[in-house]
Amino acid sequence: MGVTCVSQMPVAEGKSVQQTVELLTRKLEMLGAEKQGTFCVDCETYHTAASTLGSQGQAGKLMYVMHNSEYPLSCFALFENGPWLIADTNFDVLMVKLKGFFQSAKASKIETRGTRYQYCDFLVKVGTVTMGPSARGISVEVEYGPCVVASDCWSLLLEFLQSFLGSHTPGAPAVFGNRHDAVYGPADTMIQYMELFNKIRKQQQVPVAGIR
Amino acid sequence: MADVLSVGVNLEAFAQAISAIQALRSSVSRVFDCLKDGMRNKETLEGREKAFIAHFQDNLHSVNRDLNELERLSNLVGKPSENHPLHNSGLLSLDPVQDKTPLYSQLLQAYKWSNKLQYHAGLASGLLNQQSLKRSANQMGVSAKRRPKAQPTTLVLPPQYVDDVISRIDRMFPEMSIHLSRPNGTSAMLLVTLGKVLKVIVVMRSLFIDRTIVRGYSENVYTEDGKLDIWSKSNYQVFQKVTDHATTALLHYQLPQMPDVVVRSFMTWLRSYIKLFQAPCQRCGKFLQDGLPPTWRDFRTLEAFHDTCRQ
Ligand SMILES: [Zn+2]
Repeated sequence: MGVTCVSQMPVAEGKSVQQTVELLTRKLEMLGAEKQGTFCVDCETYHTAASTLGSQGQAGKLMYVMHNSEYPLSCFALFENGPWLIADTNFDVLMVKLKGFFQSAKASKIETRGTRYQYCDFLVKVGTVTMGPSARGISVEVEYGPCVVASDCWSLLLEFLQSFLGSHTPGAPAVFGNRHDAVYGPADTMIQYMELFNKIRKQQQVPVAGIR
Repeated sequence: MADVLSVGVNLEAFAQAISAIQALRSSVSRVFDCLKDGMRNKETLEGREKAFIAHFQDNLHSVNRDLNELERLSNLVGKPSENHPLHNSGLLSLDPVQDKTPLYSQLLQAYKWSNKLQYHAGLASGLLNQQSLKRSANQMGVSAKRRPKAQPTTLVLPPQYVDDVISRIDRMFPEMSIHLSRPNGTSAMLLVTLGKVLKVIVVMRSLFIDRTIVRGYSENVYTEDGKLDIWSKSNYQVFQKVTDHATTALLHYQLPQMPDVVVRSFMTWLRSYIKLFQAPCQRCGKFLQDGLPPTWRDFRTLEAFHDTCRQ
């Protein structure tokens, strides 16, 4: 597990999501990256049940239950800006039992699927973000395996991102700044995906040219 | 043998041998004369045959006698080239046309030259064996007979001394932690952890570094049964490259008389990898080249370079 940066790639003008993904992957292949299977990250939203809310007098907090094909035996549960936990996949069954406390939001499932690419020690995952039947955007994840401290390799990561994202290169992810010198972990990646999905959910009201 | 040697070029024997050859030739021609003449006229056929066979037998006997005599003499004559230092090639000196074919003088020069070469090579090998640059006695690849009996002093240092040197180096560099263990008897193994960047397994023989392997901070350094894994290489290309460079460094930092200085120099060099992911190349100014950061560190200046950017 290395330092990972998750970002959104805007859809190219006059192109579909699918066409933009193809453009991006072709660029990666030109660079010398090799295809290595597929990946999937999904996320379901839960909100605290109304019955529990009233008695405690709190505002409803959203919880996100996520899976990552890179960690097939794990399940991630995160609160926005809050604590998170990593559990076995049995956690999904537990959530069904906790129906009285957490209810899944209808049609909230959002996921990204795509191809994994290996380039030297970099792992690149370009995915199409979908909500229900429609494609909402493009996710780009870049992992640099050898390094475990985000601040150590951000400049290096940035140079690599620039080499195929050009002007769409993102800034440093917020999680990088959280704990200086701390060892980067899988949950940091999931937080980034959670933030990306939330951003894309808000974008859906605004019609973006070219998205079909 | 003494007989032959004393004769040398025995002229008297030579003259006798020549006449023996003449005698042999004439007796051989008598045999053929006798065969050519065939049976002479005699009263009876039986008499003719008897006389011919007797005559033929006489002739063969004399050939046999002359041949034996020649063989005896030829032993006395000896081999004239035997005593010459150049053996049969010494006969080249008998060549009368010196100017056209100066083979003999060239041969003599070559002989002297190779003699001298052998002598000097012997002296040099003696001197070099005293100042042995070899890292361990076992790697010399020569037979046990030729190996010096006493091991070089640096190979039999007491373990306590090695421990002291290593712990002093450990204290020198705060961002580097060195864990020493001796899983296989007296030879020490070091697990060097450099910040949160990398881990290095160093296999020592006394104070000589025999082998080094570099892995990532997050990678496993132990095998399943809890021993240091000194064989499998890193999963990441960048650490495989650093391993190669570290092996080069082992060969570069050599000072057989002061092995502790060598270990310290090597560790100082290794420490410069604390900025493995943070230092751009000093030549091209970039972080990445073919997906790799600058993995080379100059042996003197410790500056970072890409493998292909170093001079
Ligand atoms: Zn360079």
